[in-house]
Amino acid sequence: MNGPEDFELEAAELVRPYVITKGRGLPDDDQLSLITLVTAAPEQVQRPLRLSPEEQRLLDLCSAGYLSVAEIAGHTRLPLGVVRIMLAGLTEAGYLITRPPVARARLADKELLEEVLSGLRAKFG
Amino acid sequence: MTEYIENPALWALVVLLLIVIAVVVRQRKAAMALRQEIAGLREYYSDLEHHYMQSVAAAQEQAEEATKTVLKSAMRTLQGLAAEQQLILSRLQTKHGESVILQDLLEIDHTNSQFGRRAQSIAVLCDGWLGRHRDNASVYDVVRSAQGRVRHFRRVEILSQVDFGISSRAVEPVALALAELLDNATSYSSPDTVVEINIRTVPKGVAIVVDDAGVGMNDEERARAERLLSSDRVKSVAGLGNPPQFGLAVIGVLSERFGFEVSVDSSSPYGGVRAVVLLPHELLTSMPEKKAPAPPMTRSSVPPPQPNGPEPVPASPTTTDGLPLRRRKRPMAIVPGSAPTPIASARSGAETAAIMGAFQRGTRSGRAARGDDADQTSSTRGSSSEGHEFS
Repeated sequence: MNGPEDFELEAAELVRPYVITKGRGLPDDDQLSLITLVTAAPEQVQRPLRLSPEEQRLLDLCSAGYLSVAEIAGHTRLPLGVVRIMLAGLTEAGYLITRPPVARARLADKELLEEVLSGLRAKFG
Repeated sequence: MTEYIENPALWALVVLLLIVIAVVVRQRKAAMALRQEIAGLREYYSDLEHHYMQSVAAAQEQAEEATKTVLKSAMRTLQGLAAEQQLILSRLQTKHGESVILQDLLEIDHTNSQFGRRAQSIAVLCDGWLGRHRDNASVYDVVRSAQGRVRHFRRVEILSQVDFGISSRAVEPVALALAELLDNATSYSSPDTVVEINIRTVPKGVAIVVDDAGVGMNDEERARAERLLSSDRVKSVAGLGNPPQFGLAVIGVLSERFGFEVSVDSSSPYGGVRAVVLLPHELLTSMPEKKAPAPPMTRSSVPPPQPNGPEPVPASPTTTDGLPLRRRKRPMAIVPGSAPTPIASARSGAETAAIMGAFQRGTRSGRAARGDDADQTSSTRGSSSEGHEFS
């Protein structure tokens, strides 16, 4: 049954990603974007055994402090979307807290910068 | 007395008697001969019949073998294609992980898995190829793999886990047999019910219990199922009926060949069928270690923090907090290390400066080594060790 030719090629992953996500759909981008920050909920004492190893691992990763979704995905082997689906599920179940990314600093006025530059040039240049 | 002898009537009587005796004897002989002939013919006939049956059986067997061979090689091609497609899908899923396409890719992956399983089942009945080599895997992962091969996998719930693995040669057969059980369980129960899986350790090994909330089986079906699972099952592909019912026949072949037990003779608490797969200790291993996710990437990204080696160690116990799953802790330890605050506070300014200096010297010597490389290719090792001496 297992001839030598059968070992030529590596088999794909045993557990397929759609099983890991339990067939759930992708979360909305505004709910969980690449730069959303995620951390473990503080009051969780005991984790239920029902969580899959992948979910346990995500909780482990998040337990040290806020991490971005992209960062978390980088630490797993799973496709980013799959990680997002799992994180959304864990957040819904209350194991994780998400924080919207820090708002981008407003760009400074270009004219003001030019004025400062010319002022500096006049003084030191 | 003499008058009697002279009586012609008497003579006539005697002659008649003699003739009758002769006729009777001859008839009897003839009958005996006929009887013998009949016996001979009968024997000949049964002989002939026997030969006929034998040759029919031989022809049937030959035809069966021929069918099997054809199916086997056809399935081999299909299985190969399905496996190849699965690898391509894995690659695509990683590549387009950020995109909305992922959703569709996952669905295609699901369909492909079912397709691969069908081909695999037919191959098993034809004594064919089971699939590519698998590493040892945890029982939980094998169950999930089986779950992924059936259409209604969302209705399957795994309620418990055990700390056991399945040895590599049994991974695929157990997954396939379980997938066939789950397929039966999900197709013979209503779409709004859940199929529960419980994994338990028992004295004989590990039992995987599948409960459905379907209508169950009547006695006739149960007898048929038992027959298919036992060794005197239908040996031929032709005897599977139309539409063919592969499931139990496949499970029967697999369990016999790989030495695990499957029974479907009890009822589930929900009224449906309870199927139990019993894996003996021979097929079990200790919990396999999870492959470290993307180890080359994480490791190459950490050389600078390596000098603070002891630091991840106190951090790792906080991450474990009594997890039932034994896994390699290294990749997890990296994360607390990469959190900015603890590192900054633990390192004095002088240390940081020393490390940065060492790093800079290292890169400089590395660049110098590359320059040398153009002249002499073998000097890389020497120059890199030189860099270590400096730091």
